[in-house]
Amino acid sequence: METFIQQLINGLSLGSVYALIAVGYSLVYSVLLFSNFAHGGFLVIGGYICYYALRSGGANIWVASFAALIGAGISAIIVERLAYRPIRERTPITLYMLIASMGMSIVIENIFVVTVGGRFRALPPVIPTDPVNFLGLATTSAFDILSLVTAVVFLAGLQLFLVRTKWGLAIRAASYNLKTAGLMGVNVNRLISIVFFVAGLLAGVGGIFLSVRYTLYPQLGSMITTKAFVAAVIGGLGSLPGAVIGSIILGLAEMLTAGFISSQFRDLVVFGILIITLIVRPTGLFGKSVGEKV
Amino acid sequence: MRKVLAILSLVIVVLAAGAAFAAEPIKIGYLAALTGDYAQYGITEVNMAKLFVDEVNAKGGVLGRPLELVPYDTKTRNEDAVNAVRRMIEVDKVCAIVGANSSGINIATAPIVADGKVPQIGTVASNPFVTVDNKGKVRPYSFRICFTDPYQGALAADLAYNDLKKSKAAILYNVGSDYAHGLREFFIKRYEELGGKIVADEGFRETDVDFRAQLTKIKNSGAEMMLLPGMGKDMALAIKQAQELGLDITIVGGDGYAEFMNEIAGPAMVGTYWVNHTYMEDPAMAPIFARYKEKYNDECKEFVNGTMSYDAMTWLVDAINRAGKAEGPAIAKALEETKDLKLNHATLTIDPATHDPVNKAGIILKVGDDLKAKFYKKVEPK
Repeated sequence: METFIQQLINGLSLGSVYALIAVGYSLVYSVLLFSNFAHGGFLVIGGYICYYALRSGGANIWVASFAALIGAGISAIIVERLAYRPIRERTPITLYMLIASMGMSIVIENIFVVTVGGRFRALPPVIPTDPVNFLGLATTSAFDILSLVTAVVFLAGLQLFLVRTKWGLAIRAASYNLKTAGLMGVNVNRLISIVFFVAGLLAGVGGIFLSVRYTLYPQLGSMITTKAFVAAVIGGLGSLPGAVIGSIILGLAEMLTAGFISSQFRDLVVFGILIITLIVRPTGLFGKSVGEKV
Repeated sequence: MRKVLAILSLVIVVLAAGAAFAAEPIKIGYLAALTGDYAQYGITEVNMAKLFVDEVNAKGGVLGRPLELVPYDTKTRNEDAVNAVRRMIEVDKVCAIVGANSSGINIATAPIVADGKVPQIGTVASNPFVTVDNKGKVRPYSFRICFTDPYQGALAADLAYNDLKKSKAAILYNVGSDYAHGLREFFIKRYEELGGKIVADEGFRETDVDFRAQLTKIKNSGAEMMLLPGMGKDMALAIKQAQELGLDITIVGGDGYAEFMNEIAGPAMVGTYWVNHTYMEDPAMAPIFARYKEKYNDECKEFVNGTMSYDAMTWLVDAINRAGKAEGPAIAKALEETKDLKLNHATLTIDPATHDPVNKAGIILKVGDDLKAKFYKKVEPK
């Protein structure tokens, strides 16, 4: 029982980090109907900004995190301007943007390899990682709880932004039909920039937490984002609650498999769940059915 | 007049050739990663080898000829290493090669040095297949100066059971790593022979970074110590996550230990034990490290690589002297026959059946409160 509770907590904390990244995927997908594989790059950018602000800039964690979030958000806008907008303006086929995003992902990764080197870096111990005991039932670190809470806060913030603001309304409208939203007077280019900024910002949060947990290196983005992408697909690409629930399912599945079957079955189970979901419900758990849109 | 000129030029040519012959250097290739992730290790090795060559040349060289170092970059890629070794043998005509420091590269270059009849000495290439092929036959031109992974695994078992008195062990290893498999297999063998019990044997995959599920199992297994037969980052993350889960356990690892782990795992590193080849404060190495600092104005931070490079060069020059000529086959024979050679970090005897050092002492390092790996004890195999 103790082991079970422990693995449950491990799974929730892992799932919460996946959720921050998966939501970014879903957000972009909901508006532009393509999966932005460069998303992991924004996470790495956020991580490195935070690292250098803390190490060389002498900033405190609040300032460093703020810089990382803004930096990751802005770089997402820049990537959209440079790589996706020209394609978007020339063709309605989103497959080209998907391919461009794969290229951008490699470009971002290699920019870091060339400029700062491939070595592993650890953020200074700015976030507490002391063990915390739950009524003698399980032990987790203060960091895990903090990452869970932060994920909840940011996801709730995102929900508020989408429901309560004008741009949120525009994004929701665009997620039904971008073209029509444009015809209704929404500035589509600005809308897309905002979507990318928000997605990049969330990736930045994930980047900071992942760097603290697993150290920082240029390939960090590609490692964890595959799982986050799978989570977004399971939940239904384009659906934000779906992305969150898919992430939690995935986090729990990973930890329980590793804990009770074998750690070598972990990825087998993860991708097994993906395939079963796609067979039973191709649009994911919360995805909009394609037919409805047509 | 034309005749005089012809004779004169002939005399000059003969004289020049004679002078060149007398001073023709003995070329030694050095294979190291000089760019990429592992560049720091390779640069230290080449720097140390250059220091050694300068010292030998200052004393009059070897067999009356100066030494010349021919370093090449592997970029930690097998194909680049293979090309470099071909060039060394065919174009530069080296008589022997020192390096590289990784097992994979030495295994890749083994057939080429065998064809070219040029002996190669691996520095910290500890996989058994570096010197022995998969049929168990010794590779005639491949040697190493470090001990092997199986041997290291046995040393770790001795340390855990006899010295630290831990009789229940857990293992957390990368299922895709030959290095980890070697250490793990021989740790288990030796540990069970001694009377210890393996209570948890957990694997992870190359790209994994989260080990909390496995560590939770280890925590509940009642293990008293945990073997981490891995490389720097994986082990540092495991140590950090173990601490976060409140898993208070004695940790023993091998020569995959690296200084940067302290940056990742922080205070969780304190009290961990590492089987290694040598140590920073080794009094026998102190004069060499001091000369290194004087020449390069930098500490020899990658001290294991520095030590192995200097001592491998020493070993090679000793073999050339014994062979009496700078030719591959003769040098290989002399390397094979090495017995009780006093090096700086150890006394070297080579087993002709495996080209591995025999009965080489291991050094146990223990990480202190200041996060520095310090000499804990020297273990002589029993």
